[in-house]
Amino acid sequence: MLQLSRRRFLIGAGVGALTLTSPRVFAAADSPRGEAFLTRPIPSTGERIPAIGMGTWITFNVGTDQYLIDQRTRVLETFLANHGTVIDCSPMYGSAADVIGAGLAKLGARDRIFAATKIWTGDGSETRQQAATSERRWGIDRFDLLQIHNLLAWQPHLATLRDMKAEGRVRYLGITTSHGRRHRELARIMETEPLDFVQLTYNVLDREAEERLLPLARERGIAVIVNRPFQGGSLFRRFQSEPLPPWAGEAGASNWAEFFLKFIISHPAVTCAIPATTSVEHMQENMGAMVGPLPDASQRRRMAQYVREL
Amino acid sequence: MSGATLLSYSLQDLVMFGPDVFLRLFVRVNELLWPWLLVWPIAALILPCLAQSASEWPRRLAMALAGLGWIGCGYLFLVRYYGPINWPATALGWAFVVQGFLLLILKGRVLPAPMAWPTAVAWWLVVIMLPWLSVLQTGDMRALALFGLAPGMTVAASVLLFAAQPAPFRWLFLLLPLAWSLFSAATYWAIETYWLMGYPAAALVLSWFAMVLSPSPARTRDLQSAHPGPGH
Repeated sequence: MLQLSRRRFLIGAGVGALTLTSPRVFAAADSPRGEAFLTRPIPSTGERIPAIGMGTWITFNVGTDQYLIDQRTRVLETFLANHGTVIDCSPMYGSAADVIGAGLAKLGARDRIFAATKIWTGDGSETRQQAATSERRWGIDRFDLLQIHNLLAWQPHLATLRDMKAEGRVRYLGITTSHGRRHRELARIMETEPLDFVQLTYNVLDREAEERLLPLARERGIAVIVNRPFQGGSLFRRFQSEPLPPWAGEAGASNWAEFFLKFIISHPAVTCAIPATTSVEHMQENMGAMVGPLPDASQRRRMAQYVREL
Repeated sequence: MSGATLLSYSLQDLVMFGPDVFLRLFVRVNELLWPWLLVWPIAALILPCLAQSASEWPRRLAMALAGLGWIGCGYLFLVRYYGPINWPATALGWAFVVQGFLLLILKGRVLPAPMAWPTAVAWWLVVIMLPWLSVLQTGDMRALALFGLAPGMTVAASVLLFAAQPAPFRWLFLLLPLAWSLFSAATYWAIETYWLMGYPAAALVLSWFAMVLSPSPARTRDLQSAHPGPGH
């Protein structure tokens, strides 16, 4: 659970002041090491979260393998050490919730995260029960964000999540989609229902969300979490052997991970991207996208064009 | 979820774990049982000798050994190790256990004739050669896939026994190997562990092979008496 420490309050206050005095969409918070990292506000409250979070799809589903649980704990440790807080999971992801729980317990980090999971059941009456099960698996008292997974039974779940939010059982609610599916239906929900968050797929190649969902999120004041920022790893498989463009440094990218992630988080509607990885080194690269300049609109166009032409 | 939405998922979208996690299952099961796991390959090598016997009790013992193998890999590999990362594996694991108990219960009654020599040779080749596919995939000797512990290996060998059964039992016992072969082939394809595709491929080819070589009812004394001709 995210608790407001003195340091976090001062960072937040400083960032808030910076936002008020800066025309830039982004705010940069100072880390203890002196480097600035990007945070974005959740529109419904103004609370700021780091612009890079951690997804757990596939990567944290390691079952009862203690060797791999320890290895994933090191990935989690690296994430937290690099200012990460937003961790996203789902009951659909097998043992991932248990592995997160084990890692948080070992690192004593349960109070340092922004905990996000999903409700993934077709039974609209099981919202509270599934949330409670996920809390137990993570070892936390409540989630910061509960999202309805892939619009599954969204009406009854959303009604219950609203009640839970009113009772203080969850801080934010949202709804997710992935792989570019059901965008029209998601747009209808965003237009008619009060939501804190939506989660959707957006990356340098999958840009359908730019047409309707991202502008709508800005218009309606909904925070956007971006999943599959590397297209499930296929962006690396396709482009890693290719050279970065010579102008990548101007866009703030020193490697492909930063290139792909900065393209996403530089969109003004995006609050947070949640790349997933099994590697400490890759986690460090991912978190590097929160540091340094971001591409502007013309650089973003250039980035998309460069990748398309590759 | 609409049919169109369901069809928009690729095979990769439905598999929730990575190849490294799956391949370590072989290592973990072997490490857990070391050195007792060596009992299984020895039993697998002896099994055709028993199954070729003219007397009934060694053939019963062969089927019992196969049954224990199915119970072993069903519970240990599938239910305990694979299930936590892939929930259908738990259901399949219990199905393996049930099939293993069925083999124990039915024993010799479903092996009416001694195993044919070519089938026995095929069995030995399978239990000697196929364990190395998982080693080729991982580059790790500890990942050897052993009969009775690794489901793909157990299935590929066992179909030689099952396909040689008389008709009702043959199809009863081949149903689960077929289901497992399709399920595992799809999984291996999705996680790009192509060497492991050898297990389901071998199971399908060996099923056909054993059915072709199985003694026909006309050549099986027990079955002749069970199907009286017009003179009776």
